[in-house]
Amino acid sequence: MPSSVINPPTNHSLSPYTGAWTNAQAAHLLRRSLFGPSFQQINQVTSDGLDAAIAQLMIIPAIGQPLTYDPAETIATFGQPWQNSPYPTDVEAAQECDTARAKSLGAWLMQRINNEGMSIAEKMCFFWHNHFAAILSFDQRSSYNYFDLIRQHALGNFKTLIKEMTNNTNMLEFLNGATNTFYSPNENYAREFLELYTIGKGIQIGPGDYSNYTEEDVAAGAKIFTGYTVEGLRSSTYTSVNTIYVPLYHDNSTKQLSYHFNSEVIASAGPVEYSNYIDVVFQQNEVAYFISRKLYRFFVNHELTEEVEQNIIPAMAAIMIANDYEIQPVVEALLKSQHFYDANLIGSAIRSPLEMLFSMFNCTGTTINFDLATTSDMYISLYYLGDTMGQGYGTPPSVSGWPAYYQAPNFTKLWVNGTHLKNRTWLAYYFTLATGLDVNGEILKIQTIPFLNGLSNPANANNVIDDIIRVFLPKPISAAQRQILKFILLGGQPDFEWTIQYNEYLAAPTDPTYYLPIQQKVELTLFQLFQMPEYHTV
Amino acid sequence: MIKRRTFVKNVGIAVAGMPIVLNNIKYQPIQKKLFNYNKSAEDRVLVIVRLNGGNDGLNTVIPLDQYDNLVIQRQNILIPENQLLDLNQNNLALHPSMTGMKNMFEGGQLGIIQNVGYPDQNRSHFRSMDIWSTGKMDPFEHSGWLGRHFDEKYPGYPDDYPNEDYPDPFAISMGYSVSETCQGLLSNFSHAVSNPFDAYNLTENQGLDDGTYFGSHMAYLSNLIMQSNAYGSQINAAANAGNTLSSLYDANNPIAVQLRYVAQMISGGLKTKVYILNLDGFDTHNAQVSSTSVLTGRHADLMKTLSDALAAFQDDLNLLGLSHRVAGFTFSEFGRQVASNASRGTDHGDAAPMFLFGECISSQIIGPNPVISDTIQNQEAVPMQIDFRDVYASLLKDWFLVPESDIEPLFEHTVQYINLLGACNLGVDDLAKNKDGLTLFPNPATDRTNLRFEADGDSYTLQVIDMNGRTVLEPFSGRTLSGEQTIPLETYDLKAGFYTVRLYSRKAVKAVKLIIAD
Repeated sequence: MPSSVINPPTNHSLSPYTGAWTNAQAAHLLRRSLFGPSFQQINQVTSDGLDAAIAQLMIIPAIGQPLTYDPAETIATFGQPWQNSPYPTDVEAAQECDTARAKSLGAWLMQRINNEGMSIAEKMCFFWHNHFAAILSFDQRSSYNYFDLIRQHALGNFKTLIKEMTNNTNMLEFLNGATNTFYSPNENYAREFLELYTIGKGIQIGPGDYSNYTEEDVAAGAKIFTGYTVEGLRSSTYTSVNTIYVPLYHDNSTKQLSYHFNSEVIASAGPVEYSNYIDVVFQQNEVAYFISRKLYRFFVNHELTEEVEQNIIPAMAAIMIANDYEIQPVVEALLKSQHFYDANLIGSAIRSPLEMLFSMFNCTGTTINFDLATTSDMYISLYYLGDTMGQGYGTPPSVSGWPAYYQAPNFTKLWVNGTHLKNRTWLAYYFTLATGLDVNGEILKIQTIPFLNGLSNPANANNVIDDIIRVFLPKPISAAQRQILKFILLGGQPDFEWTIQYNEYLAAPTDPTYYLPIQQKVELTLFQLFQMPEYHTV
Repeated sequence: MIKRRTFVKNVGIAVAGMPIVLNNIKYQPIQKKLFNYNKSAEDRVLVIVRLNGGNDGLNTVIPLDQYDNLVIQRQNILIPENQLLDLNQNNLALHPSMTGMKNMFEGGQLGIIQNVGYPDQNRSHFRSMDIWSTGKMDPFEHSGWLGRHFDEKYPGYPDDYPNEDYPDPFAISMGYSVSETCQGLLSNFSHAVSNPFDAYNLTENQGLDDGTYFGSHMAYLSNLIMQSNAYGSQINAAANAGNTLSSLYDANNPIAVQLRYVAQMISGGLKTKVYILNLDGFDTHNAQVSSTSVLTGRHADLMKTLSDALAAFQDDLNLLGLSHRVAGFTFSEFGRQVASNASRGTDHGDAAPMFLFGECISSQIIGPNPVISDTIQNQEAVPMQIDFRDVYASLLKDWFLVPESDIEPLFEHTVQYINLLGACNLGVDDLAKNKDGLTLFPNPATDRTNLRFEADGDSYTLQVIDMNGRTVLEPFSGRTLSGEQTIPLETYDLKAGFYTVRLYSRKAVKAVKLIIAD
């Protein structure tokens, strides 16, 4: 049950944070920017300081492409990309081939998160995926186009991103732009473009008038967007899925926008008309407000209090407008701001399923490095687990994205309910105490021994417990809870026994009689910690 | 929208060992009392099926008297008239995939409420589903319509729940997420259940509420863990004690699978009042019908999924003797536009029909047929004639017997009540005439009851018909005097259950439902 009164943040300034910089602030920054920071990353950011940390987080590293690994892929070569390979001619074979590509794509998305490094890239990519919440194509080359586009502009220019997204093959399919023609206008994209992607829907203030736009604007937008379609889907000859412009499909009439857009007229301009229209929409400052609110909800807190609406959102929007819709300056300002580090905002969100899942791995430095097929099958299994818990990357539940990011009043509380909690507990058990994930005889479990060895003073039980709490939990816990964790780690023995056991292990690190008891104690401790309500917050 | 694709096909590998999915469904035949009538609404169950995405009402319930104009509006998706399932009432027909629901209709267990929507229809999925979930037009409303009702009855929830008096969840949302309709002031009244046979046991662990957002999550999670364990064990016990009897359930039909779980839980004695199910995929902007035949395609598949599942569920309830305790309805956030588009699809529209199902529906067709224009007008959709909030309010009144004074504060408009599910409420208001002008008292009855009606000197035959359509009693046949007449019915030979009393004359057949209690 939520508290009847929640203490709101007290600092509402977007100017740079100047307070104490300890590992508490460093961990908060990293927990919001990454899927799960490691002990080493937290230490590094603590010593580097805020500015250097932000500079590093803003670098989007280059990554490889999804690779062929499943035998159902019959065109591309094992170990090579399939993004430029056609499909088999046989319909059934093409379906199986697509499933193989979907698995490769899903594994690739999970691998990216598991190897995110010290970059905000993966969080930003998920932010945009939730914003442009398209589901996968039935041709994974088109799905790849979509994820590739998002990553290219993850911290780039919002206006550029949406212009390219408008004619992205997967988006054209998803919201029926591909079949939106002069002969048969389809409003689907034109509506979501205004309602969910750019200016947002306000309160209905008249028939078909939603404060920021009207039904007439939707109808006009549908006409403006006509002309673009997709070719090559599931083709056995095309080596890629392409957007093409067909002049015959374009509605050449003059389109009249409503008073919300100063009654502007969009003249027929063929293939560049959509771009002219987007420029007109982006002249409305409300676009900057709309996307600022979404960034705020994603990175800071679900609740837009009156003070946040009056101080933070306008300041973010002003930066965005001054920078002609560049995203990076706004994200930087937000993550550097005094408001971001307000004590009342620490732990204000519930960890999403993918954050919960990958915190177990990323916080402990556990990555998957087996052969390509085994590694990929493990990642696609993690994909499936995320999906089971309500966050299938590539299958958002609706065009509005995941309800945790928009559904009042519960917001991120929606990530957990009775069923999800049970699944989270099973997962934690699975990757700590149980056998782990077995693929081709290889095992994926949390790498507890390397994790332990990387802590500040592994031979000291008190230090181990404090480090574990710092890595996984947003706030200190009660003395009683800490005592429970320590009791589990020590197995009821006095502190010095841990030191002796650890040192015996160090003397013979490959001897199972020494490393297994140590490993098991850490696993038990982590399992207990993963079941604590605190672990589900970030 | 593209058909949803997931990666998970053929990803059996690692998942095989995962303890997440359990398949230990048991079907043990159990001997139970089949009929146990309770006058109060305490044991009544409401089942809500959400058709997510905006169902095309005009391709679901087709007004045959408008067919010529439908040809003008939507020829590329329209089903040939001779393929439609004629209901032989009010010139209405169902989509040809809906044989199961047609049978329900003929058995008096399916009703249709036409042209349901709300004023100034908002065509966004997002906003429109909010309106349907909250039951209010106010965009700042966060509570659901059922959540507000539960808040009235169980103030303070979830503090001190579950407890001895209320050990079971008030509502169950089938699947992985809770339902917005059940959002209360402090918490959501619905409990998410994907498989009632799963056992629950989460480590209980009290987090600290320090007054911040974090603290609110601690309180929420700690309580959720405690509740999940308590509710989970109740659900688990009910599922194991329960039973299902229908052979019509299709294991590949996702809604049928969930409805079977619901039947299992109800028959196992779970006291949950509301079950909510969700069927996705109704946003048929393109390829609503296949390129080769208007009889197949996505909409046909959806109609079959829905119809088969509801028919199996109703069959099960009939066999389990639970049909008098369970009623349900379907809804979607909006209908679709009258004219189809060139992609063999339809765009977001306004009003649409809702289905009601169960033994206790009061009448089968409510509201006039939509009027279809003979010319295509841009973005035109079926206008609203029945406000969905009146449907909700009437369901609360008829089914949960909520007093009007408690219903009115739940909504923001002046409620117009419609008789939707009153057919089993006879015992509550014995001396009221039914819609045919008949009064049966007492009802429910045991050994004897009386039929009162206004006679006009005609000849009358009175019969009592059981649920299989057999005449089990014919207490009277002959001429009566004019004026109010009362005919006694000796019912001590009848088994407990539902019956229809029919009064035949040369002018009309009138009917009233009779309940024989143990």
